Amino acid sequence: MSCNPSFGGIGKGHLMREVDALDGLCSRICDQSGVHYKVLNRRKGPAVWGLRAQIDRKLYKQNMQKEILNTPLLTVQEGAVEDLILAEPEPEHTGKYRVSGVVLVNGSTVYAESVVLTTGTFLRGMIVIGLEMHPAGRLGDQPSIGLAQTLEKLGFVVGRLKTGTPPRIAKESINFSILNKQTPDNPSIPFSFINETVWIKPEDQLPCYLTHTNPQVDEIVLENLHLNCHIKETTKGPRYCPSIESKVLRFPNRLHQVWLEPEGMDSDLIYPQGLSVTLPAELQEKMITCIRGLEKAKMIQPGYGVQYDYLDPRQITPSLETHLVQRLFFAGQINGTTGYEEAAAQGVIAGINASLRVRHKPPFVISRTEGYIGVLIDDLTTLGTNEPYRMFTSRAEFRLSLRPDNADSRLTFRGYKEAGCVSQQRYERATWMKSSLEEGISVLKSIEFPSSKWKNLIPEASISIGKSLPLRALDVLKYEEVDIELLSKAVPEPLRKYTKCRELAERLKIEATYESVLFHQQQEIKEVQRDEALQLPKDLDYLTLRDVSLSHEVREKLHFSRPQTIGAASRIPGVTPAAIINLLRFVKTTQQRQAAMDRLPKTDQHLCNTDKLEDRQL
Amino acid sequence: MWRGLWTLVARAARGPRSPRPCTRQGSGAPAPGSGATVFALSSGQGRCGIAVIRTSGPASGQALRSLTAPRDLPPARKACLRLLSDPRSGEPLDRALVLWFPGPQSFTGEDCAEFHVHGGPAVVSGVLQALGSVPGLRPAEAGEFTRRAFAHGKLSLTEVEGLADLIHAETEAQRRQALRQLDGELSHLCRGWAETLTKALAHVEAYIDFGEDDNLEEGILDRADSEVRELEVALGAHLRDARRGQRLRSGAHVVVAGPPNAGKSSLVNLLSRKPVSIVSPEPGTTRDVLETPVDLAGFPALLSDTAGLREGVGPVEQEGVRRAQKRLEQADLILAVLDASDLASPSSCNFLDTAVIPAGAGSPNGRSQRLLLVLNKSDLLPAGGPDPSADLPPYLLLSCLTGEGLDGLLEALRKELAALCGDPSTGPPLLTRARHQHHLQGCLDALGHYKQAKDLALAAEALRVARGHLTRITGGGGTEEILDIIFQDFCVGK
Repeated sequence: MSCNPSFGGIGKGHLMREVDALDGLCSRICDQSGVHYKVLNRRKGPAVWGLRAQIDRKLYKQNMQKEILNTPLLTVQEGAVEDLILAEPEPEHTGKYRVSGVVLVNGSTVYAESVVLTTGTFLRGMIVIGLEMHPAGRLGDQPSIGLAQTLEKLGFVVGRLKTGTPPRIAKESINFSILNKQTPDNPSIPFSFINETVWIKPEDQLPCYLTHTNPQVDEIVLENLHLNCHIKETTKGPRYCPSIESKVLRFPNRLHQVWLEPEGMDSDLIYPQGLSVTLPAELQEKMITCIRGLEKAKMIQPGYGVQYDYLDPRQITPSLETHLVQRLFFAGQINGTTGYEEAAAQGVIAGINASLRVRHKPPFVISRTEGYIGVLIDDLTTLGTNEPYRMFTSRAEFRLSLRPDNADSRLTFRGYKEAGCVSQQRYERATWMKSSLEEGISVLKSIEFPSSKWKNLIPEASISIGKSLPLRALDVLKYEEVDIELLSKAVPEPLRKYTKCRELAERLKIEATYESVLFHQQQEIKEVQRDEALQLPKDLDYLTLRDVSLSHEVREKLHFSRPQTIGAASRIPGVTPAAIINLLRFVKTTQQRQAAMDRLPKTDQHLCNTDKLEDRQL
Repeated sequence: MWRGLWTLVARAARGPRSPRPCTRQGSGAPAPGSGATVFALSSGQGRCGIAVIRTSGPASGQALRSLTAPRDLPPARKACLRLLSDPRSGEPLDRALVLWFPGPQSFTGEDCAEFHVHGGPAVVSGVLQALGSVPGLRPAEAGEFTRRAFAHGKLSLTEVEGLADLIHAETEAQRRQALRQLDGELSHLCRGWAETLTKALAHVEAYIDFGEDDNLEEGILDRADSEVRELEVALGAHLRDARRGQRLRSGAHVVVAGPPNAGKSSLVNLLSRKPVSIVSPEPGTTRDVLETPVDLAGFPALLSDTAGLREGVGPVEQEGVRRAQKRLEQADLILAVLDASDLASPSSCNFLDTAVIPAGAGSPNGRSQRLLLVLNKSDLLPAGGPDPSADLPPYLLLSCLTGEGLDGLLEALRKELAALCGDPSTGPPLLTRARHQHHLQGCLDALGHYKQAKDLALAAEALRVARGHLTRITGGGGTEEILDIIFQDFCVGK
């Protein structure tokens, strides 16, 4: 954790639940390392709840290392990667090269069947404080220059992004007594599906505090813009406002929130979230002391900006393998994303696919109809990005279906069967939950009474008795003030058993809330999935492809993004409906030819192969 | 349009072995999830003896039954004469031949119905609107019938070769059509609504994605609520306004106006082929507004004869002039009539200055008002035509007495009315209009769900659906648009 001492948030919490559903580590480690657990958006509907926690940096590192080092069959070697070892490509796959290992900075080599690059902000990383710039991936760490050059030489399109981090403040120098205190949730909601609770009791957790900027802060920022080259640089920062400078410049004369977050249980540092800044260090300190509660604050480490290379993510497939180099996978900030959660989401997918690729298994791809991970990767690989891509719930068109509560039903079974990345224990838990939910819903549907009877049974509910049709228990459960507990008091048999498991009771309530809308959304999802089932041949050369009438512009776009399905192709801006139909006809003809060949007797196999060769030459 | 359009295309690719989403011998309400039922005018456009309107999809049987109620479905593939009426109002529309083709033995492979109606624009428009009101039916997208036929294996691959071109051409035509139609008041309205809605949605989305840990201003949800309420009122008013949407059905308002004794009533009688107005050589004969529905060059029109415009001599005639002026303001098309032999008279000059010239210059309130200047009594003119000294806008010469110039006038009327009502020979305007109405209604319904939703994610979903409907008329509608507004309006992020 090299920046903020927290995990999750709105949209990001969804990603963490999905990573966990695939047995990724960060959620489980966060359940062992948090110091302040709080679900955001509690009042806005369970589809947009944002699980979030302040995490103890030291504990997280310890727990994560313990987990990794105790993973059977895993060898861990530390060292900066300087170059890739390349070999001839496999003829049955696209790509100009194949990676077969890496060269470390000390000259030693590590051979590998697949390689995942997760370079963070290190590719030609440059740290900026005031007018000073110096090469570094992170304060105190060398950047990665050789690797960046290798990637550029191979022909990857490289772009540049920037991000930043706030100064760190000594805890004992802050006057918390005059600030607003935020206490954690009670009870804490764990990130992981396999944990019923987190490692620490709510009363033992640490609070956060809220303070605000003021006109003096604006003044310091505005008067010293000439000392701030990070802000002037043309490198694209995000449209949202990560730094105090961009907040002041774009929304002047306002008070901006600053959250004072603990860095850990026994850490004496405070992370002032919202105060990311690249002013010269002495001005940062001056600015901090203008803020309420921070009048006597001691700055331990200044904030700084980081500029770094990323590779246009349209150069990777939805399995995160590069088009250019076989068995080379990219994950995280190298693909233009922000944050731990986006990185974790890509990490789990890249890891799964790096391993499947070695075992000659088909890639594991999550559709945008199945998860935020799918939305993230589809957006990146079809649209690219020119600002650090951050997950928002508004990016997911099927938001009501892709909820934090049901990530296990969406992904765990696929992870278990297709990727083999899910533990038996998790699989069994998810299976039990799924069948209990299905049974619960059908029981709730089967209980039907006239609305007047329901009104008598549950006077708390605002059921209107004007309706003549009988109401199902599932319909009653939709009312805001009704939960399984209340319902089971009215109809103890057979509902009482569903109150036993808190998670099950809560999930039944959520399913009831969205039931009517989900029916329609399922139809739409099916349509999109049908489109995604139509694969485009991976080795299509769009630039020279004859037999398909496509404009030059469309060819270029398809050539660069290399969509794998008709669905992905249709989401590329500028690819017209007519072009899609033409592609479709092409796919259909190819399929028919393929089917005809498959019907040939097996002894003629070699003939089929020559046919295929000719096909490709086309 | 994009996604729906090509989802169908994708379905097409699954080929004939895919499960067929159609029910046999329509069982009433469409089975949910078995695909929408679409309708369109399938015969050639323009005024013709018979127009064919087709539906395809599981609700076809339901549609046929609701328009021919109380009769039941006709036997399959047999032409039957039925009285068509609007299922909402019961208002009779036409006597027509109807055919019922239960799938899979139909053009598209789905349940299909055909209505062979009398080819006037009013009838066609009426039947299309009636179909649009049947649950489960929506206007077809470009090339949709062909694509459905392909999907059900009714067309071979070679027959589909031309499909891309066809869709390209049709979407082009639809786009042009939409542009044409959107090039006026409706365009303005729709874009405005879509903007308001996108903004309201962006604010709700901002509240969801950034509401907790960033300082959004207070009350952004209340603002979204009030925007949605205003939008609801505006949409409701628009949909209730029969005049705008149904000009073609009820007819364009054509008002005959001019100074006294120019021959306005003679023209009305000539055009309606019946003595509607009393004609006399005495100025001021017509005192009230006389209305008569007529068929003008193939278009239905409501023709109004008005009192001659002059400083009235008596209170009755003065009231007549006032009513004439009011009617003029509401007219879709003005037929300005002058006495060709009397252009220099004060009443002629006054009429030219106050009514004809301003209309030609475009009215100040921005309403398009079309005007045709007719110089009547051409039989009284000398061989050289009207007085060249009079500075006249373009005009048509006519003699109501001899009928000379009538053909020219009818041709000019046809052009004007085509522009007003949508020219059936240049595209599918009726369909476009039905589409608009369909999506505006869909938008309004979704806004209703927004208001009822307690859960904010559900409320946002309703707004997303509403916006989806509007953007199918105006285009656009991506997520990026929303994020742009969020980042522009709010200081959010960390």
